[in-house]
Amino acid sequence: MIKIPPYLAKGDTIAVVCPAGFMPYEKAATCISVLQDWGYKVRPGKTLGSQFHYFSGTDEERLADLQVMLDDKEVKAILFGRGGYGMSRIIDQLDFKLFKKHPKWLVGFSDITVLHAHIYRQFNIATLHAPMAAAFNDGEYENEFIQSLRKALKGGISNYSCESHTLNRTGKAEGELIGGNLSLVAHLIGSVSSFKTKGKILFLEDVGEYIYNVDRMMIQLKRSGMLQQLAGLVIGGFTEMKDTTTPFGTDVFNAIHSHIKEYNYPVCFDFPVSHEKNNYALKVGMMHQLYVSKNKVTLKEIR
Amino acid sequence: MNRKRFIASLGSASALLLTDVSKASEAIATRTKKIIVPPYLESGDTIGITCPSGFMLEKDMQPAIEQIKKWGFQVIEGDTVGKRDFTFGGTDEERRKDFQNMIDNPDVNAILCARGGYGAVRIIDQLDFSSFKRKPKWVIGFSDITVFHSHLHTNIGVATLHSKMCNSFPDDWSKAEPIQVETIISLKDALQGEKLVYNGGICEKNKPGTAEGALIGGNLKLLETMAGTPSDISTDGKILFVEDVGEALYSIDRMFYNLKRSGKLDKLKGLLVGSFTSIKAETPGDEFGRTLYDIVLEKVKDFDYPVCFGFPVGHQRSNFALKCGIKHRLTIDANHSSLEEI
Repeated sequence: MIKIPPYLAKGDTIAVVCPAGFMPYEKAATCISVLQDWGYKVRPGKTLGSQFHYFSGTDEERLADLQVMLDDKEVKAILFGRGGYGMSRIIDQLDFKLFKKHPKWLVGFSDITVLHAHIYRQFNIATLHAPMAAAFNDGEYENEFIQSLRKALKGGISNYSCESHTLNRTGKAEGELIGGNLSLVAHLIGSVSSFKTKGKILFLEDVGEYIYNVDRMMIQLKRSGMLQQLAGLVIGGFTEMKDTTTPFGTDVFNAIHSHIKEYNYPVCFDFPVSHEKNNYALKVGMMHQLYVSKNKVTLKEIR
Repeated sequence: MNRKRFIASLGSASALLLTDVSKASEAIATRTKKIIVPPYLESGDTIGITCPSGFMLEKDMQPAIEQIKKWGFQVIEGDTVGKRDFTFGGTDEERRKDFQNMIDNPDVNAILCARGGYGAVRIIDQLDFSSFKRKPKWVIGFSDITVFHSHLHTNIGVATLHSKMCNSFPDDWSKAEPIQVETIISLKDALQGEKLVYNGGICEKNKPGTAEGALIGGNLKLLETMAGTPSDISTDGKILFVEDVGEALYSIDRMFYNLKRSGKLDKLKGLLVGSFTSIKAETPGDEFGRTLYDIVLEKVKDFDYPVCFGFPVGHQRSNFALKCGIKHRLTIDANHSSLEEI
């Protein structure tokens, strides 16, 4: 059984740290004040606003900051400032001993997929795939996606729906929800952090990739046995896709579809999980029901 | 458990199934010891040219075909030569069929892939290598062709040739740069069974030492995207070479973490770092802050095997033919580095 970290109550503390790319402090200012408005205390980590070249700090600094927040019992959730690149450089040095005893919600996506996958695979603890600090800016904290994060933190049961897509395959599936950024899901294959996908509902999203590379990664997932025995598949946004000078010849959703058409499980495309605004908070590891009907797609948490 | 599935399951469970992993490594190592070496080519033998990945115009292939004929070989042009389906050298089915013909045609003694690009992984599982096992032949190419090197190494235990392809032959041989001529001649020499010796040059970042082991490797991105699949390689006890083109430093770093975290750096005998060309430009103020040397050296700091930088393999003119699967000796000291076939 998946272990669920305690949901948050008013007055609880949320830490904000940057385990990967650099983020100027001011870009997280709105997020911090909104979290406070929601009734939480906020503890900014040392890596919020600090910089070491591309990164928010040296490996040691990023590691130490995240470790402190993982270990501190007062901290009930850790919201990541941003993704970028850097989790892979520190994941094996993190000590999860106290975290396992006192799980807390880890909130983020993109490069944070490394953490979702590792914690699910190694400790079977639920995490939260959700918008990060920058997504709060420009008044966006009022949108339904940031609000979905607010509800998720409080323990609300998620129930999301979206429009149907011509490539969808109808059906109903139940299973633990896992997934994240396709590049990271593929990158983790062969490591101790890789997702096991049998009987699960897998969601995938990506940004800024070449279509041929998405195609290649889907083939990797398929050839490594990750697509055969899914309960269901949720394809999120694949935004800012690039094509080669000589075109690949098909769009990204058709490329993905070509690799899963032989299976029978339900599949939906363009679900609101992405690097764009439309990015619902998804509880990785928790039981969900995916219902793809002719006219509508719903993904809801089951308790 | 059948072999393919066993290898596939290794990827996702490597750390948890140590006994299985070592058993598998043994199995692969045993296989590698008895590596099958396809017959070397003699004058009059036939080289089949096919496009399993990207498309290539027939006229662009002529310099290569003419030169290969001058060497005394015959050439069979596959159906995919000059074919095009968007970026591919024909549809998946056309490319598969053409490669299959090259495998099955008893008159073909070696299969030269015209160029890389993308596409090998889309057909590899549909190819039937049963006649190839009975009559192994040299499969030649690099970049996307790394899929074949890895797949054949793991599944058939046959030696392959990592080398320049048709698109690297100079239009006018008489005006070619010496390095172009030298590297393409290394392809001919390798095919004719010459034991090759390479000078890896001097680099102050090299880690000295000597090592012996089967040579294995190719394009780093392809090695990463084969992790967990039936084409994945075991690197234990081997000399690994890697190269790539057009990647960002962070991506190169992440790919080396894939090698490290999937155990591919743990039991190497030696590491050859080829060229990483056209590394993506960095955004000022947002630099990665580490060089290629830093990226590699921090991943292998716990190991004492020799490491050579700037080895002449990659997407550049200095890209010599390397026999994958065959035992080599790597020697690195302060004044030189060399790789020689044993």
